Amino acid sequence: MTAVAATLRTAVANGLANRNSFWFQVSLMVANDITWIIFWVLFFHQVGNLRGWDAHDVIVLFSILLTTAGVALGLCANSRKIGQLSADGALDETLTLPVPPLAHLLSTRVDAANTGDLLLGPVVFLLAGNPSPERAAMFLFGVVAGSVVLIGFLVACGSLTLFVGGRGEQADLGFNAILIFASYPLDLFGGATKMLLFTAVPAAFVTGVPARLVRNFDTPEALLMVAVAALFALIGWGTFHLGLRHYSSGSIWIR
Amino acid sequence: MNPYLAGWRLGFLRTIRSPGDMSVRIGFFAIILVVMTALWTAAVDANGGSLHGYTRTSLLWYVFAAQTAVLGVRPRSVEEIGDEIGSGTVAVQMLRPVSVVGLRMSIDMGEACARLIASFTVGALITWLFVGAPPSLAALGLAAPAVVLGCAANIASCHAFGGIAFWLLDAKASWFFFQKLVFLPGGMLIPLELLPRPLELISFALPFATMAYVPGRIASGHPDPLLLLWQLGWLAVLLGMAGAVFAAGERRLQVMGG
Amino acid sequence: MIAIEARELRKTFPVRRGEPVEAVAGISFAVEAGERLAYIGPNGAGKSTSIKMLTGILHPTSGDAAVLGIVPWKKRRELAARIGTLFGQRSQLWYQLTPRQTFGLLGRIYRIPADEERRRLARLGELLDATQLFDQPVRGLSLGQRMRCELVASMLHAPEVLFLDEPTIGLDLVAKARFRDLIVRINEEQGTTILLTSHDVSDIEQVARRVIVINHGRLIYDDRVSVMRRALLGTKMLDVRFEQPPASVEVEGARLVKLSGAGAKLVVDTDRRPIRSVLDDLLDRYDVVDISVADPPLEEIVSHIYARPV
Repeated sequence: MTAVAATLRTAVANGLANRNSFWFQVSLMVANDITWIIFWVLFFHQVGNLRGWDAHDVIVLFSILLTTAGVALGLCANSRKIGQLSADGALDETLTLPVPPLAHLLSTRVDAANTGDLLLGPVVFLLAGNPSPERAAMFLFGVVAGSVVLIGFLVACGSLTLFVGGRGEQADLGFNAILIFASYPLDLFGGATKMLLFTAVPAAFVTGVPARLVRNFDTPEALLMVAVAALFALIGWGTFHLGLRHYSSGSIWIR
Repeated sequence: MNPYLAGWRLGFLRTIRSPGDMSVRIGFFAIILVVMTALWTAAVDANGGSLHGYTRTSLLWYVFAAQTAVLGVRPRSVEEIGDEIGSGTVAVQMLRPVSVVGLRMSIDMGEACARLIASFTVGALITWLFVGAPPSLAALGLAAPAVVLGCAANIASCHAFGGIAFWLLDAKASWFFFQKLVFLPGGMLIPLELLPRPLELISFALPFATMAYVPGRIASGHPDPLLLLWQLGWLAVLLGMAGAVFAAGERRLQVMGG
Repeated sequence: MIAIEARELRKTFPVRRGEPVEAVAGISFAVEAGERLAYIGPNGAGKSTSIKMLTGILHPTSGDAAVLGIVPWKKRRELAARIGTLFGQRSQLWYQLTPRQTFGLLGRIYRIPADEERRRLARLGELLDATQLFDQPVRGLSLGQRMRCELVASMLHAPEVLFLDEPTIGLDLVAKARFRDLIVRINEEQGTTILLTSHDVSDIEQVARRVIVINHGRLIYDDRVSVMRRALLGTKMLDVRFEQPPASVEVEGARLVKLSGAGAKLVVDTDRRPIRSVLDDLLDRYDVVDISVADPPLEEIVSHIYARPV
């Protein structure tokens, strides 16, 4: 564990080495996120109420999305790069070290822009989320569990590259899909789409269910959240480790 | 062959020859349509079946055309233009006896046309499947040139914004602000009629509305040729601006050195 | 004690269309602890693939191997704590940070006690003449300086075996010579077993005592470097440019292979006559503008190996 913590610390130091560029990217991302908040405010100003969701609820959902994305794409920036790293043979460095490879990979790169999400998310929740102690605790719980689901899903998508080859395209599509779906209230979707969001593209567990828990705490749903987080952690871990047997270290054979 | 036509052809062929990249984009587009359908269906239902004159059907045909037009352009176009300027690639291109910005825009337009053919067809099919026939076939027909013109205005604008890199050596920030301008005042995320009245009027007057709102508005059942004229007018201005920015930038490169 | 052992090691890579490619086609050898082995072959011969199987990065298609008694791909992490690796084309140093910051992280990863780490850094810094580089950001180091710091990083946990994959690639002549010298020093002072891949013939002559040549994934030669030198490395190539185009070039012990205008190529048989006296002769008797001495390319040695009587 200390090795992973030390790696993450080094990754942060590496990201902060060029301070101006780091803060420039962080502020760009924050400005980007604020545009979305403006969109939602304008949208609800016109629409009023959306199947029981008002601007307030959606902004809480959005603050959860920002924070989980900040953890998964900012602190563990490699979670969405596993496919590309495998194709480039860039797992070599990790595999020569006496460390658990997935934990090491996830802690070796910090992305400046997405760190902006991580900084803004809790601020948005504190300002607009009526943060009572219980709600804040649920926010924290939801964000931690949601990040595990998101990272597990992204790692599993990326690890598919180890089995089927390519340059991580399927991971890009999975990445776009889960983040788009996670940006909108769960109750918008019905039927097959909703099924999908609770299973193959688990966007519901990245933002929807955590947001519901912040609104009304429900023990069975919280337990389900823990179980799903554990399941996706296992799926990500398993796909990656099974995939390592097929890792070809970037050996390209065009003959 | 005319060099700009050759550039267009190169961009077009290059795009249709990478089907992997193309199918990922189409998949992405399909997901957006699914989400938007869900969002606007709920919004229209909550308001008694109509929002500022948009029904569910017309609103989703709006979304289809607005998204098609914006997604035709490579997402990081402005940033890439900035990188080419910052890295000195443009300085090398200036040695050729053709306009740098003209050739670049032709190639981008070729790529956009290839993508538009695919995404317009697939998107129209999906939308038809989800919400039924478009408000009028004439509207859908007129939306096609509007989408192309919207893309062209977008590409010209990308070059005007990207050209800022001649002075700042980087266009990341300009890319970013440009993208946000297309999202909101451009009408990609939300039809301008749904904005507060003063914002709606300002947004309509700005060029960004020609890149998403106009194709959307036409496809939603308003085949008004005046809207195409509005696009053409802004396209001419934006092309002029892109040309002027590059001309000034290239002069600066020649004086200051690359 | 045997440090590295491979038995019928084989690796095939699937190809999108067509037959799978056999990168390593059944290789067997054993290396004693403390040896310095050059593992060489032309580009694409299967060198890197072999090393990556021996370090546990790749799983072999079939065959067996043991490094320090451990099967690499089965107990990769246990092995990783006891071996060091250096890949010439990849960096283990953090680009924006100083080497010392990377060493600090490696200290945690390999669980080296802090005072032990300080002692080793001081010793390695002195041995590799790199202490003055430890506190500069890596992005500001030259390739040669960076490679010395990479070597410190690979040696920090005092590995028993050091695998080096094309470590001298891209280095200039002076930096190459210096780097080779450092590898020999590490082996002699710390007893580290060295396995080095390269396609540069001088790497073999100056670092290794034993050489294995592979081609198309198969082992085609395995002997002492001194034997190979006599048998296969008895020639040097001379590239000479003269002030005036000479009518012919005649120097004892050198054979003219090509003469075009003012340039000439000669092959020197160093068993018959030392290269030094050939050069002395040449400079005395002709107006030489420029001259360079090179080893025969590896491809030529490989074809000699195939041509030699069994």
